[in-house]
Amino acid sequence: MNTKKILLVDDEKGFTDVLRLNLESTGDYEVKVVNDAREAVKQTIAFRPNLILLDIIMPFLEGPDVVMALQENESIKNTPVVFLTATVTQEEVDQQQGIIGGHPFVAKPTNFEELVSSIEKNAGMVY
Amino acid sequence: MAEKEKNVVNFSDPLSVLIVEDNEVDYKMLSSMLKDESYKISYSQVTETLADAVKALKEKSFDVAIVDLNLSDSKGELTLKEITEQFPLLPVVVNTGAYEDDLGLKTLGYGAQDFLVKSKYTAYTLIKALRYAIERKRLELELKDTMEQLSVTQRQLIEAERMRIIGGLASGVAHEVKNPLATILYGVTYLTDHVQVDDEKYQVVLDNIRAATHKANNIIVDLLDFASLSRLNKKATSLEDIIEKSLSLVGHEIDKHKVSVSKEITKDLQDIVVDKNRIEQVVVNLLLNAIYSITEGGNVHIRVHNGCLSSEMIKSMGLSEHYFKNGDRYLFMHIEDNGSGIKNENLDKLCDPFFTTRRAKGGIGLGLPVSKNIMELHEGSLCVQNKEDEGARATLIFRTSL
Ligand SMILES: Nc1ncnc2c1ncn2[C@@H]1O[C@H](COP(=O)(O)OP(=O)(O)OP(=O)(O)O)[C@@H](O)[C@H]1O
Ligand SMILES: [Mg+2]
Repeated sequence: MNTKKILLVDDEKGFTDVLRLNLESTGDYEVKVVNDAREAVKQTIAFRPNLILLDIIMPFLEGPDVVMALQENESIKNTPVVFLTATVTQEEVDQQQGIIGGHPFVAKPTNFEELVSSIEKNAGMVY
Repeated sequence: MAEKEKNVVNFSDPLSVLIVEDNEVDYKMLSSMLKDESYKISYSQVTETLADAVKALKEKSFDVAIVDLNLSDSKGELTLKEITEQFPLLPVVVNTGAYEDDLGLKTLGYGAQDFLVKSKYTAYTLIKALRYAIERKRLELELKDTMEQLSVTQRQLIEAERMRIIGGLASGVAHEVKNPLATILYGVTYLTDHVQVDDEKYQVVLDNIRAATHKANNIIVDLLDFASLSRLNKKATSLEDIIEKSLSLVGHEIDKHKVSVSKEITKDLQDIVVDKNRIEQVVVNLLLNAIYSITEGGNVHIRVHNGCLSSEMIKSMGLSEHYFKNGDRYLFMHIEDNGSGIKNENLDKLCDPFFTTRRAKGGIGLGLPVSKNIMELHEGSLCVQNKEDEGARATLIFRTSL
């Protein structure tokens, strides 16, 4: 099977629903949704994604905290992360060549095509 | 006592005095009193009418004027008002008739510094009144200046606080609004690819939703922009390069509206220290405004030159006198068009957020306020005026570091 596994971590259920539909309908991705960031590490270990799409501002646990928690876990610490966030503008993302604070960023709302190209660029092997 | 007073007021600088008095007895009396050499009056002149007084004050500068209010061509308080309005820096001592103490006191409210009661003064009290009037006027002007400075500072503080609140509000709103926008956008993307109905109307509806989503997002981005203070990336940059880049960015609109562009750029142009992207954004906003004001086949003229600010310019452009000093050197960039110009009643509102006369054509009304904000963050300014003949002129003022 050639599909990539994407873990989508975002508290906005409406958003994760439509994004999952879009990603799955390309036939290229298998998507697992996590709406409660506290579940992110557990689901990463269970699902073994090629890439995590991670929202930044979430209740209970914010995006950067999730990254730190992943780091503490040897088996998943190299999983690529793309931040998906409404807190910065596309212009700011472009100015930094898509990388802010060491991680690739995609600004919400961004065209689906751009999101896909960022996924393709950053997705990695499953360890 | 006289000794002590001399410490406060300087009695030794030579004075020039204008006497405005039509009663011969009075002005002869005043003139002869002022002749005493120990009073150091270097010059005195008598005029008998208000018109002559105004003429004399325009021709020569006087240290102080003694004014009788009832002249052949002007009576009462009006005489004083006329003089203080035309010559706001001139110290004035009013010479009132006997038994007019009330009037005398009232004149202080109209801008006189002291009053004499005819035939009740001596040479010494006269000269003391003149010297004190000068000192009072000086203190009054100093106070006025301090008050102005204070009110500028106060306005700045209010503005800074307002921007802080807007900034916090804007980023909060942006986050809350962009999330649902992203949901709408991906929803539309999905439907566009999967609606099987062979009906063009569905695609039209979906396209409209997508366009509306992008527009809403642009408003949010503009709002964030407006609110983002002090994140400037300043570097020495050529204004000419900025102009070229901006023109190429709006090239499409220039062609579409069949507008011609002409340029007049000073040869000795120095670099300015600015955030290039931000200034480009300003120039693009102004170019678009100019282009949209033109019906078809008009001209946009760009002029760049070094120069000073005169006090008339400071006033007519509504600049703060505390930042922009008469005589300081700046770099000016004008963008002039021969379009519709601006209705007088709208001139004051141009830089209000969301003021637009182009709402129906997609105007948001953030172009000028955002641009003005950016210019002010560069310690420069932006103003938009009507040209003398037709159309409008937007002027950017940059500080040149000399
Ligand atoms: N060169 C000009 N000639 C005539 N009117 C002008 C000119 N520049 C600005 N205006 C007036 O000032 C208004 C506000 O301008 P501003 O750039 O802030 O907003 P806008 O152009 O309407 O919308 P946008 O947010 O898209 O820029 C305009 O709607 C227009 O009425
Ligand atoms: Mg505009």
